[in-house]
Amino acid sequence: MLDAAMVREFTDLLSDNGVITDEVGLRSYECDGLTGFRQVPALVVLPRDAEEVAGAVKLCAKYGMPFVARGAGTGLSGGAMPVADGVVISLQRLRRILEIDVENRRAVLEPGVFNLDISTAAKPHRLYYAPDPSSQQVCTIGGNVAENSGGAHCLKYGFTTNHVLEMEVVLADGSMITLGGPTGEQAGPDLRGLFIGSEGTLGICTKVTVRLLQTPETVRTVLADFPSIEAAGDTVGDIVDAAIIPAAVEMMDSLSMEASEAATGAGLTVDAPAALIIELDGPADEVDAEFEHLTAICERHGATRLHVPTELEERQKVWKGRKAAFAAVGRISPDYIVQDGVVPRTRLAEVLTRIAEMGRDAGLRVANVFHAGDGNLHPLVLYSEAAGEHHAAEQLSTEIAELCVELGGSLSGEHGIGTDKACSMPRMFSADDLAVMHRVRLGFDPDSRCNPGKVFPTPRLCGEKPGPYRPHPLEEAGVIERL
Amino acid sequence: MTTLTPGSLDELRDAVLDRPGSVRVAGAGTAADWAGTPAPADTVLSTAGLTGIVTHNPGDMTVEVRAGTPFAQLQEELGEHGQRVAVDPARAAEGATLAGLFATADSGPRALQYGSLRDLVIGATIVLADGTVARSGGHVIKNVAGYDLTKILHGAHGTMGVLAQLVLRLHPTPQATATVAVPCDRAGMADLARRVADTPVEPTAIQWHADRLLSLVEGSERGAVSRAQRLVDIVGGELLAPDDATAAWDAHAAAVRARPEGRAVLRFGVIPAALPGVLDGLADAAEVTVSPRTGVATVALPADPDVVAAAHRRVADAGGTSSLRQRPAGAELPAFGPAPASAALLRHVVTSLDPDQRFGRGRLAPWVPLPETTGVSA
Repeated sequence: MLDAAMVREFTDLLSDNGVITDEVGLRSYECDGLTGFRQVPALVVLPRDAEEVAGAVKLCAKYGMPFVARGAGTGLSGGAMPVADGVVISLQRLRRILEIDVENRRAVLEPGVFNLDISTAAKPHRLYYAPDPSSQQVCTIGGNVAENSGGAHCLKYGFTTNHVLEMEVVLADGSMITLGGPTGEQAGPDLRGLFIGSEGTLGICTKVTVRLLQTPETVRTVLADFPSIEAAGDTVGDIVDAAIIPAAVEMMDSLSMEASEAATGAGLTVDAPAALIIELDGPADEVDAEFEHLTAICERHGATRLHVPTELEERQKVWKGRKAAFAAVGRISPDYIVQDGVVPRTRLAEVLTRIAEMGRDAGLRVANVFHAGDGNLHPLVLYSEAAGEHHAAEQLSTEIAELCVELGGSLSGEHGIGTDKACSMPRMFSADDLAVMHRVRLGFDPDSRCNPGKVFPTPRLCGEKPGPYRPHPLEEAGVIERL
Repeated sequence: MTTLTPGSLDELRDAVLDRPGSVRVAGAGTAADWAGTPAPADTVLSTAGLTGIVTHNPGDMTVEVRAGTPFAQLQEELGEHGQRVAVDPARAAEGATLAGLFATADSGPRALQYGSLRDLVIGATIVLADGTVARSGGHVIKNVAGYDLTKILHGAHGTMGVLAQLVLRLHPTPQATATVAVPCDRAGMADLARRVADTPVEPTAIQWHADRLLSLVEGSERGAVSRAQRLVDIVGGELLAPDDATAAWDAHAAAVRARPEGRAVLRFGVIPAALPGVLDGLADAAEVTVSPRTGVATVALPADPDVVAAAHRRVADAGGTSSLRQRPAGAELPAFGPAPASAALLRHVVTSLDPDQRFGRGRLAPWVPLPETTGVSA
């Protein structure tokens, strides 16, 4: 039972309708994009500015309540799943773009600003914000900071951590500090870099300054079909050897193309064993020279078709074929799980062979869509809840992530550890590694009240089994995709 | 004071465990007088025995390197595979080590395009004061598992932990480079640099030095020169002949690492629009090199505590950050500007990793003050 005096303090602090205590209201915050993990919070608060965030965190400190910061709730690792008896601090009302500073090429943002809205606001000035997670229409910059989000174009342009200059942060005791600075120049240790990607366990970001880049003069894209996954993989290797850094290199296998083509009609060749979508951007003379080289490499590896969209609309159609792949597998399977592992790029063929074998052994199909340039895989484990395959699918999915670690890679390239993979962390890190991370955490938040139960394995968490996948309400409404 | 030179990770850990008291980590010594004045240490840990590449995976464009490896030597070895670490700090030419450049958050002109080593590091092995060996990150470019712990040792000046190995992301060596030089005084630098940045040419570096704005264009055999020529067509100046370009960049690097006798050197960063104002306010500034689009400048100042403190304050008033990069022997000069609100957090993080402050005492002072007890404490 909630302490009435405490609730009154939150109500007094926050503006109109800033506190949610009713069962129905609370329930809409019970999960993020990873819908198998659910927990109704004790309280949800909706501050309107940084001072109210700090005030709410101070009240949490006063009453010893754990709290979870939440942006749009599109995360895929349960990083924003509430804590029982804890407070959810929603940042959705802090959504002002405070400044588009054209001369200095930066934007100052509140954390609830949608990722895509930054580039939209900067576009008239021929500027944009580079990290482009596939959920960019509905995910927030604050969530991107928490997860160190990437996107299809991060091979060339890097991740959130490479684009955030400065942040205002509320720490677990309610104090407010600034991390980073107006330039990349740094005096003293890089606490900003530590905070980015800490999945909400070190504090709440209430203001972000990001770098804006100039819109490239030219963008050229090719969709290339290949006779085998190996041929597509070798093509990527040769592109790297040719000193070309594409803005994006995406690979799809035949199963994912079959699903995507049925859903989008993007022009994918459904019976091709593999396809690459490669994009170059930059100055026209540079891109033209490299593009010629690039298509020659594709042909050398037996590309069976090279589709070069010339109009923007055509190019967007190709990208839609890639980006819709996850949601589209719903057409060929009643249920699916999206995995997010990374292997060194040179081990792509090996990991795909192993995944195919593991799928066969488990009696489940696995579709593959991935960022081939950086080895970030998104295997889609297809299964039927009704046929009782849920447990086997979860197990296969976890085994795939752990296989990535075995091959010298990582449990997660962009979705985060959150609740979902905390129990796999000992596969990748020793007890000492994790203990040191935890010591740093205690330097920020000595009582571990800031998003507890995430990232680090705990016996309580790792003894529990997640529930079955259920579509997120936004996903059902077609607003988000599981990318 | 004892100097130890461990030759392996195990020896490094043993050295940290076996030697009680305070420890100063030493690389090539090219930044020994940067940041705060080091307190006398019981032990100096030299990284001179920790050198060489551990693993280089050319196809994955990653490399794991021991901390004490001279950066120039690393670049040379990678160059044989047509790859590089895409940073170019001036003091690499003096033998600076990889971990030394990392610990001092050093970077060069290419920071405009590639950032600093913090942007290229993807993993590390560190040794803590209690002998714990911890790894973070990994060998893949894209990786969000666990905290990005390595970052806190970037700019830590040898505090909190000892870097044993770093894993870096590599980039291909460009097939061709071209440099455009446009004559320009300090007053006109900011506007000209903005015009360069507004072209579609995408230079890798834009630096002002010796009354010229240098723009470096890197790319393919055909593309680089064609882009540089376009830049000349738009903003004027000239495309330098290869030898002249090399000489211009060498002279720039020499100015950045110049050690003018008896002077203090300050490096600072402010938003580009604030740069001219801050520079104008620094009377007696000499050896000025500026990266007008990143907002970073390096200047030599009189080694007077009041002058240096005033310069720090001026940068802080413009919202920027600054740190000392040369302290003449015996001079007591402030290493950093006014302590930010995050200094308290920094002290907590230092305490959580190195409670007795064994490593790098004094280097982050006054933000992290010396512990009350000095000398042997462990």
